[in-house]
Amino acid sequence: MAPVKSQPSTPFASRELNGEVLLDELSDLRNAQVPQKLLSDLVLGLRDLEGVRVSEAALRLKQLAANRFSATPALASLLVRWSARLKVELDVPLLISHFERLAITAAIVASVRRASDSLKGGGR
Amino acid sequence: MGFPVSDEANELLAQWPPRARALFAELLDDAGSDLQRELIQRAVVAAHTPAEVHAFADELRAMSDEEAYEACTLHDSAPEDYTVAQLLRAEADPLFAFELMGGTIEPNEEQSSQGFIPPRRVPDTIELEAVGPSDAVAAAVAKKKSSDSFEADSPGASRPRKLDWNDLGNTRPPPQKKDSGPPSSGGTRFLENLLAEATRALAISWKEHDVDVPGGLSMADALASAAGALARGIPVPCAVGPHPGDHRRFIVLMQLNTSGKSRAWQLYDPFSSELLWANEGDLLAKAELPFANKMNRRLTRIVLPQSLRSSF
Repeated sequence: MAPVKSQPSTPFASRELNGEVLLDELSDLRNAQVPQKLLSDLVLGLRDLEGVRVSEAALRLKQLAANRFSATPALASLLVRWSARLKVELDVPLLISHFERLAITAAIVASVRRASDSLKGGGR
Repeated sequence: MGFPVSDEANELLAQWPPRARALFAELLDDAGSDLQRELIQRAVVAAHTPAEVHAFADELRAMSDEEAYEACTLHDSAPEDYTVAQLLRAEADPLFAFELMGGTIEPNEEQSSQGFIPPRRVPDTIELEAVGPSDAVAAAVAKKKSSDSFEADSPGASRPRKLDWNDLGNTRPPPQKKDSGPPSSGGTRFLENLLAEATRALAISWKEHDVDVPGGLSMADALASAAGALARGIPVPCAVGPHPGDHRRFIVLMQLNTSGKSRAWQLYDPFSSELLWANEGDLLAKAELPFANKMNRRLTRIVLPQSLRSSF
């Protein structure tokens, strides 16, 4: 039996996974007008992957993309891309965390845009 | 059946229209217990309108004594969530406490008081002993664990003998929820409400804290709390500006990177799309942020996640 790698694979080890990469994805989803509710639904769905082996997680990501989110191509393609990047067990919780951050950041950005009018000078 | 009414309540009731006074007597008659009658009287003493008192009594009537006490008492966590002024007022005004605890009333001004509004004034000085707990209140308190009691929150030894409302403001403020913010924000703290709405499905709630103003967090405490949130995978929205209390722009703390003894924070400005790293020392120095706009040189407010599911 092959030993379990103690390091996540390269995309998940990047310092910018939850920075620049996340914001690029957020920009794509925003341009595609993906609603916040779908992101929240995705996060709730992905939480079922906690403790699942990497091969099973990749398969279920593809199934989510093909079924639940097939009507949202931007989100479905994002899921498919990430499913292909899953290589080791450590990647799975990092992927779940990444999508949680993505959903929360989307909510924060939308909220601060709405709230900015309350600030001096319109907050812009 | 006539129930005893305190002198303070009678003083206020004397200013009510006759019809409202008669209604008040009916409310006492209909109340389910001495505790409920005590709470209703205290609402009168706190200068609520007849309609508000009527609606409050309607809410209480459906409750047991323990439920009523629970609904009108701030809990142990209250000191973290409410201002001192709100805590003090909630101790004297059960209707105010009821609303702070999330209760709502639906006053019918036309039916209850025909437009009458009592003077929005609270007696200059309230002797706490004069409106001290009745036997019923004391009995209800005794039923609770000591850690849940008023005394646990506010030990008698340190409680001021007199509560001078002039220290809290010259006029009685209208009932308000706990989310009112300082006027310097140019508005209220509604970002926490917007965020709560947007992240409800993810089971996250939020609370805004001013930074480096009285009653707020110090910059070091704010960053320590933000570090905890980021460690759980939750980005932290903040306001930035030139001075404490002067909120000009919202940004987001995206990540925290620790290398040896130094820590770097990744900051994102959704309006300029700038994504930058800043040393923690620069944030603590409050002299400059790395954004192109140099006017906003420090964090002025932080919005911290509160209720989290266990996996965060």
